[in-house]
Amino acid sequence: MSNELLVVKNLHTTFATAGGDLPAVDNVSFTLGRDETLGIVGESGSGKTVLARTIMGLQARRNASVTGSVTINGIEVIGTSEEHKRQIWGTEVSMIFQDPMTSLNPVMRIGHQVDETLRLRLGMSKADAKQRAIELLGLVGIPSPEERYDVFPAELSGGMRQRVVIAIALACSPKLVLADEPTTGLDVTIQAQILNLLDELKEKLKMSVVLITHDLGVVATRTSRIIVMYAGRIVEIGTTQDIFKDHRMPYTRALLDSAPKVSNPSHTRLVTIAGRPPNLLALENGCAFAPRCTYATEKCHNERPVLEATGNDGHMFACWNPLTTRRGAV
Amino acid sequence: MFKSIKSKFNNDADEKSALMKPEKKPPLGKMFWISVGWVCLNIFLAITANLLPLKDPIAQDYNAISVGPSLHYWLGTDDIGRDILSRIIFGSRISIAVSFGAMLIAFGLGAPTAMLAALRRGRFDNILTTIMYSLLAFPAIIATISVLSFWVPRNLVKVIIVIGIASTPLVYRVIRTASLAVASRDFVTAAKVQGATDRRILIKEILPNIMPILLSFLLIGIASVVAIEGALAFLGLSISPPTPSWGNMINEARTVMSSNPWLVIFPSLALCLFILSLNFIGDRLRNYFDVAEVKI
Repeated sequence: MSNELLVVKNLHTTFATAGGDLPAVDNVSFTLGRDETLGIVGESGSGKTVLARTIMGLQARRNASVTGSVTINGIEVIGTSEEHKRQIWGTEVSMIFQDPMTSLNPVMRIGHQVDETLRLRLGMSKADAKQRAIELLGLVGIPSPEERYDVFPAELSGGMRQRVVIAIALACSPKLVLADEPTTGLDVTIQAQILNLLDELKEKLKMSVVLITHDLGVVATRTSRIIVMYAGRIVEIGTTQDIFKDHRMPYTRALLDSAPKVSNPSHTRLVTIAGRPPNLLALENGCAFAPRCTYATEKCHNERPVLEATGNDGHMFACWNPLTTRRGAV
Repeated sequence: MFKSIKSKFNNDADEKSALMKPEKKPPLGKMFWISVGWVCLNIFLAITANLLPLKDPIAQDYNAISVGPSLHYWLGTDDIGRDILSRIIFGSRISIAVSFGAMLIAFGLGAPTAMLAALRRGRFDNILTTIMYSLLAFPAIIATISVLSFWVPRNLVKVIIVIGIASTPLVYRVIRTASLAVASRDFVTAAKVQGATDRRILIKEILPNIMPILLSFLLIGIASVVAIEGALAFLGLSISPPTPSWGNMINEARTVMSSNPWLVIFPSLALCLFILSLNFIGDRLRNYFDVAEVKI
């Protein structure tokens, strides 16, 4: 068994639409080691969620076609039957969804939603499963879990619901958890609690986490490596240190610059990235970011850059005109 | 005063705490329970009709032809001397058997396929939905009438089968639409990626969430089948006389309506009240089950 838990190779997800083929995920390759946390950042529509769903083996839509390879713990996901995927769903890989308001069944008691998985996948008896579900609810920080076992989701706040969602996802102790913007629907203080909880559980349960977000602040302290996506492609990949301090791709710089900083004096205008994300149906030959890039040259508009390694181990970026200066502290 | 401010503050803090107290649901109301009682009474009488001290619904009493309500014949007799009360109660058996039986068939065929189609989508859904919608384009009552005219001799089972199958596309459409809304929600995907099979998702995730719609539509469906059976009986296409049913009682009484209006009024009243009660229960339940999803 290799050391890599998740291997994604040349992954393409294309939607056949009335306007032509839409490449939502375009030639994405990366690996994830055991007990590692990987961040995937990018704007809305950069293909983060489609990537996560493709890795899960969930067909996002009917008209999607997927090529490439995804192996989780050595098991291929792409192109296999639902039956096959059901064997790894829950036990090998699990997913935490964006909106805790809709990812719980509103008419089922939360305890049952947790122990259903336990009974189904691990074959636990009713009593054992209940015991374990209460433990899990306690583990994710739900106060007095014995009492909360019998409540319905509508009786819980957003943060509490997201904890339940996490408890369900972790019920069968998966080796890999994909968290798709797990804190988007929550307010900032709860966000931090949920992220810290995920971190803590990752250490405790020895699992790998893929943290998908558009918020760089979220990934800064919690990931070991970061992938930056733009228009369905990876534009830069490297250790968190690389991405924050030694990034080469102008898009990464722009993304970092546009995050609000505490050190800014009040009434400072936020830095924005000019233009808008490209229409994936009408991509030019060149770099997808070129139209918005202040460093763009003729070549950038005509030729698509490929991911290239730097001297730095594992740090790769796709740019014809990379930045050379290091960035100051965030 | 200080204390009251403090307690107010505490209350606010409580409200913001993680566990929200569930709101009390509005009561179902008096009319709901009266309707339930009426339907239950009807069903009870229909089941126990043989054991009740009722007169034979087919036996004729030549000494009491077309008499009005009296102590002996509570609701009077018809033009050939049969007891109306007894005929109404025995007649309810037909109405209830046909309506429940037909809905059992319609939901048995329509609901599981609709839920599966909504979950799976794709070709299975496309083909089935096209077929069902084409059938819906054809008026069900005409189909029912034509099939029943040719499929003789008519009996209870045949009537149930024909009405049941004719109602299936409508049930399919309602249940599929309701299931589609549920199947696209995250918790269904979440259950799926925990390794739940389609069958489990249908039973545990989709069915409980469409239950309010299913239940109220079932009751309204039963009510409309009672009316359809009445209409068919009125046209002479349901159970053959002399077996009483509400519809054929009204049909037979039509000719003597001016001389003996009781003959039309009582079975019509029985039919109306039964349908009204079912509709009322269905309607109230739909309001009641309006599941709260976000209460923050």
